[in-house]
Amino acid sequence: MNNQAKPIPSPAAATGLRRGILGLLVVAVFFAIPFLGLDEYWIYILTIGFYYGILASSWSLIVGYVGRISFAHAAMSGLGAYGSIFASTTFALPLYLAIPFAGVFTGLVGLAIGRLCLRLHGAYLGLTTIAFSEIVRITITAEHEITRGSLGLAAPALFESADRVQYYYSFLAVLLASLLVMWLVLRSRIGLFFAAIREDEDAAASLGVKVVRWKIFAFTFSSVIAGIAGAFYAHFIQLVAPSMMSLQEMGFILSMAVIGGFQNIFYAAMGGIVLEVLLEVLREIGEWRMAIFGAVVILVLRFAPNGLFGGFADYLASLGRRS
Amino acid sequence: MALFEQVVNGLIISIFYALAALGLSLIFGVLKIVNFAQGELYMLGGFVYYVFASLLGLPPVAAVLVAFAALFIVGALVERLLIDPIHAGKVERVDEYAIMITFGLAILLQNLMLGLFGPWTKRPDAILRGRVEIGELIISGDRLAAAGVGVLLIIAVLAFIRYTWAGKAIRAVSQDRETAGVIGVDARLTGMLAFGLGGALAGAAGALIGPVFLVYPTMGVIPVIKAYVIVVLGGLGSVPGAILGAFVLGQVESLATVLIPDTTRALAYKDAYGLVLLVLVLVFRPQGLFGERTRRA
Repeated sequence: MNNQAKPIPSPAAATGLRRGILGLLVVAVFFAIPFLGLDEYWIYILTIGFYYGILASSWSLIVGYVGRISFAHAAMSGLGAYGSIFASTTFALPLYLAIPFAGVFTGLVGLAIGRLCLRLHGAYLGLTTIAFSEIVRITITAEHEITRGSLGLAAPALFESADRVQYYYSFLAVLLASLLVMWLVLRSRIGLFFAAIREDEDAAASLGVKVVRWKIFAFTFSSVIAGIAGAFYAHFIQLVAPSMMSLQEMGFILSMAVIGGFQNIFYAAMGGIVLEVLLEVLREIGEWRMAIFGAVVILVLRFAPNGLFGGFADYLASLGRRS
Repeated sequence: MALFEQVVNGLIISIFYALAALGLSLIFGVLKIVNFAQGELYMLGGFVYYVFASLLGLPPVAAVLVAFAALFIVGALVERLLIDPIHAGKVERVDEYAIMITFGLAILLQNLMLGLFGPWTKRPDAILRGRVEIGELIISGDRLAAAGVGVLLIIAVLAFIRYTWAGKAIRAVSQDRETAGVIGVDARLTGMLAFGLGGALAGAAGALIGPVFLVYPTMGVIPVIKAYVIVVLGGLGSVPGAILGAFVLGQVESLATVLIPDTTRALAYKDAYGLVLLVLVLVFRPQGLFGERTRRA
């Protein structure tokens, strides 16, 4: 079909620097926000926004960089949440061990799924991951004697005090740490392997890229991040229900990544934060919010595949070149 | 006797499944994409039926036909606006684009109807009320009538694909889009027709099942997952495979519910059997039972 991807204008070093400075400014703003006397409620919303930022960016790692679709990301986050709850209550692990345990656990699940789905592409992969995610959700709902089903399972709190700002900074730190790790991986040789697999798997293999290894690695890596995010979320919200793994939740993550720009982890993360805030700002219009987001997803995919932030950044870069 | 009743119930459910899955398979055959908004087209069919049969007082069978026609138009429009750009070479990363844009469409349609009609369930008038007794077997009339109309629709669509010129075009483009173009088949028009028919079948399924399982904005979420299982089981793009897959799934589900003694757990897992089947088929035999082997799934 259409294999001739349009060449992406390579950003000049100057615009790269400009983007870096812009990024640091955005981070500085997020660090300063709790000092601006914002209502506690919005601190809470932003904290959830950071959670979605982690999920949207780690999802875009698979879709935007390796070119493989996954609908299992919400399920991975849910597995991390339940995993950490069981580790901390049933096995009485302290949270600083339970949360990494959840990351390892979802990583192993991601490894297994990645291994199983190796040969699958496009729609087939989409269907398999939907099936996996629904099987997990149905099982956790059905085994209500262990998981309390759709009533939800209580989770121990991350901090003893209910201070919102503490949670805000810890989620911001987790988001920045996961973005940093992903960025380091993507700018190493591995990032090039990913791009090679995305553009032409057979050609990549013929040039010596270990296609199997890096595909499985990508799936495992992004699952670990989703699992850790889910674990932190569980100990923040303190009540976890199977609805966390629903396809509707997956729809949120997809919308956030696509609208922000799923070809870039930073834009996807911004999409997560901004959409979560918008969901709250527009609370009055109820269901129409998601209808609007659905429409925006369609328009963005059709007319601005780099997403709103990606498109905006490209626009800024083009201004810079002209002057 | 209980077993026999389960078999008959499974058969009736299978007919509904087949209606929804057939549309998915038609669309995949011609356009090589899975429509992740198929469940929402099914839901729209249910709402069109509700509006025409219950609010405007049309006879139920006529309302089913209205739903069929309305969703044909919706499907054809979706194809022209969102899917056709793929073939015009305006899109990079075709597979992911098609998946994400139909998923986005599903989000849009579901929440649009939530906004318009609210989350409450509606029970539109059925084609037939009461119960039908055949020997010792008792079946509710609404299910039997819906299944009957469903069978007629399936036969009509199969005949259309088999005997008309347009049906031949659909089969030709399914086999080879470029060669079909060479011998004078308009592949773009055929794609629109296939998506329209796929939408119409989903719409008719929603209209027929509406009175039985109620109409609400998220009514398509579970049935569409069953439709995925069915088309994968039968092989994506294979029309006889879709029908056979529907019967396999209908029987597996209704029998498995009887065979597991703990009833609450059996019911809770009912929707999972098919999904396990789907994963197994995709991992071990990606071409399905009837699909043709392609170089890469």
